[in-house]
Amino acid sequence: MTEATERLVFKRSEPFRLGVEIELQIVNTRDYNLSRGAPDLLRLTGKQRHAGEIKPEITESMVEMATSIHSSHDSLLRELLEMRDLLVRGADRLNLAICGGGSHPFQKWSEQRIFARPRFAHLSDLYGYLAKQFTVFGQHIHVGCGNGDDAIHLLHGLSRYIPHFIVLSASSPFFQGHDTSFASSRLNAIAAFPLSGYMPFVSSWDEFNDYFRTMQDLGIVESMKDFYWDIRPKPEFGSVEMRVCDTPLTLEQAAGLAAYAQALARSILAEPRTAARPDSYFVYTYNRFQACRFGFDGLLVDPQTRQHRTLREDILETLASLEAKAAEFGSSQALGALARQAESRQNGSAWLRDAMARAGSLHDVVRLQAELWAGRLESDE
Amino acid sequence: MSEFGFLPSFPLPSSAVLLFGTLMLAGLVGGWAVERFLSLPRIAGYVITGLVLGPGGVSLLDPGTLHDARIFMDIALGLVLYDLGHRIRLRWLVRERWLLVTGVSEGFAAFAAIFAVLLFIGEAPLPAAMAATIGMASSPAVVLVVARDLRAEGQVTERALNLVAINSGLAVLVFTLLISYAHLEQDAGWAVAAAHPAYLLLGSALLGLAMGLLGIALARWIGKREDAQLILVLALIAVTTGLARQLNLSVILALLALGVFSRNLDRRHAMLPVELGHAFQFFVAVLFVLTGASLRLDALLPTAMGVGLYVLARLVAKMTVIGTLSRLSGLSFRQGVLLGLSQLPMAGTAIVLVESTASFYPEFGIRLAGMVFAAVALLEILGPVATQVAFKLAGEAGGAREQ
Repeated sequence: MTEATERLVFKRSEPFRLGVEIELQIVNTRDYNLSRGAPDLLRLTGKQRHAGEIKPEITESMVEMATSIHSSHDSLLRELLEMRDLLVRGADRLNLAICGGGSHPFQKWSEQRIFARPRFAHLSDLYGYLAKQFTVFGQHIHVGCGNGDDAIHLLHGLSRYIPHFIVLSASSPFFQGHDTSFASSRLNAIAAFPLSGYMPFVSSWDEFNDYFRTMQDLGIVESMKDFYWDIRPKPEFGSVEMRVCDTPLTLEQAAGLAAYAQALARSILAEPRTAARPDSYFVYTYNRFQACRFGFDGLLVDPQTRQHRTLREDILETLASLEAKAAEFGSSQALGALARQAESRQNGSAWLRDAMARAGSLHDVVRLQAELWAGRLESDE
Repeated sequence: MSEFGFLPSFPLPSSAVLLFGTLMLAGLVGGWAVERFLSLPRIAGYVITGLVLGPGGVSLLDPGTLHDARIFMDIALGLVLYDLGHRIRLRWLVRERWLLVTGVSEGFAAFAAIFAVLLFIGEAPLPAAMAATIGMASSPAVVLVVARDLRAEGQVTERALNLVAINSGLAVLVFTLLISYAHLEQDAGWAVAAAHPAYLLLGSALLGLAMGLLGIALARWIGKREDAQLILVLALIAVTTGLARQLNLSVILALLALGVFSRNLDRRHAMLPVELGHAFQFFVAVLFVLTGASLRLDALLPTAMGVGLYVLARLVAKMTVIGTLSRLSGLSFRQGVLLGLSQLPMAGTAIVLVESTASFYPEFGIRLAGMVFAAVALLEILGPVATQVAFKLAGEAGGAREQ
């Protein structure tokens, strides 16, 4: 128990540096259902040198790519594309395909297989069917922070913008063969976990440590990994980790979202610091639901100004206010692309619903999804 | 007497429906018992059930009944071969050339090894070549059904299915060429010798192509409705099988071609990947019970040495070639060996080939026919076990039917 009661040390890291982790779907090329391909794919990619990391996830039809640390959007995207090409080459050899998207449109959760690793077996024992139903795919964005107090402050600041990230990444309209009517149905699968949602209100790293120690002493958690919050501090990386995003359909979008988080973080930490207020969380789950269900047309309630407006308006206004910060990081173009999506209410879910309307079957939707992810769609049509 | 006319008259008239139902029941019971008490794959149980009921056992299924049941076997085989053909993605085979090379090489290696063994024990060259050709093919039905039953997924399974399709097609090809050679030997003249294989091969491929194109056109017209497309596929399978029989074409080749063409020529993806699972359940049990019934173990004892050599030569050739060449297509050595093992089952259709060869070419001889029969019988029971073990050891068996 000595180890358990040690305080968490927040590793100092260069502020505003970025890293992302992206969970991907492995599908077969026959009916485009999820397919058990991770072991073979990892064996192939493992033989080649590349930046970042490609690793197994809880089920064998999932892989995760994790980037190294980047200070700019462009270098992040470059690395993501390199890893993508490696994965696509591997999948081609194995008669498999890889795609983005927050959920697989028609897989049956009961058919998923848990990857043979002790931690995954433990999770499967603990959570039962939830572990298999957790076959959803997300993007995690890490933003570097100088110290633990900054991280807690940044976390509270970013929580207001969580709905933005849900809407811009939303790409899970279909689940278990049906249109859910949600822009992001993936987050519903996470809500069932006991430690999901948002972090309890603490206002400093010390307070967070007290909370963490209490939870440990109560025997509820062992490590930070047991928290499934939308945003959580990641002390061993020295970052704040945002976990609400669906895996977008393209890596360009994934890098764009990271650039958005970076610019927001800069803006939040640059403003004069006022104490974070617990009442800002009164609206949290309402806003989150609106974003998941209605996408760009969802309503956002601002607890400070008491204004109601659509997420589309709020996103456009926020992006406009970040222009200077974006220019500083060289991500003006990436943020411009997000603004255009908000203008036209285009996100992954809209694309997928459109693909379904055109192609007529969910098998075809996944096929198109895989071609889009591999960067082959334009050239093929 | 007349007032009791409502009573059935004895002996009872034969009924195909009754036969179908009885075979399913027998298969169900036998398959379940074997799975439960011996932990063997269900299909091995079906085959054993057939053996027990057939002429080699209690003779409940006599040759006449077997002939009546032919239609069920045809439909079942049609389903299997279509499904197999439909899993072949030509773009992948072209890109992953080594798999194609592996399939062709292991087929010819099996041929060479068996041929050598048969010559060694004193068979005449042409009959020996025919018997060796039959050994080139693995059993599409066994490999596919074991893969489906285990819900196996992964590179060993995927490649096993592709290899079966390749070596089955190849075996038909070589066998046809041998028949034309036999024509020559019998002084039938060049015209017949050339026309026979050309008709058989081109005809079968064209039939598959035509039906595939028809299917794609109809699928476009019906639209993406799963229920309607399931009927479409079942109808295509039945019509193609029936036509192939009527036109004296190769059912194996025609159905494989139907599957391959309907998938690979469907540029606009009009045909849905329909799930044949339920249709499979009905017919597969019947298929294997009937296969079992047409096997004869009586030839096993007198030819035991020959059979042993035949099976061993085939196994060693297949495993060596597949194990070696698989490294080139990115598999580990272990995966390659398991892939080789998965190809052990021998096709039940070999029986038909032997029978038709023996009637057309009497020199084929009772001894050789008996040996091939016995090898098939042995491998119909051991084969499913080998394939199951291969998929399981490769870690590719699913957990749906667990405990």
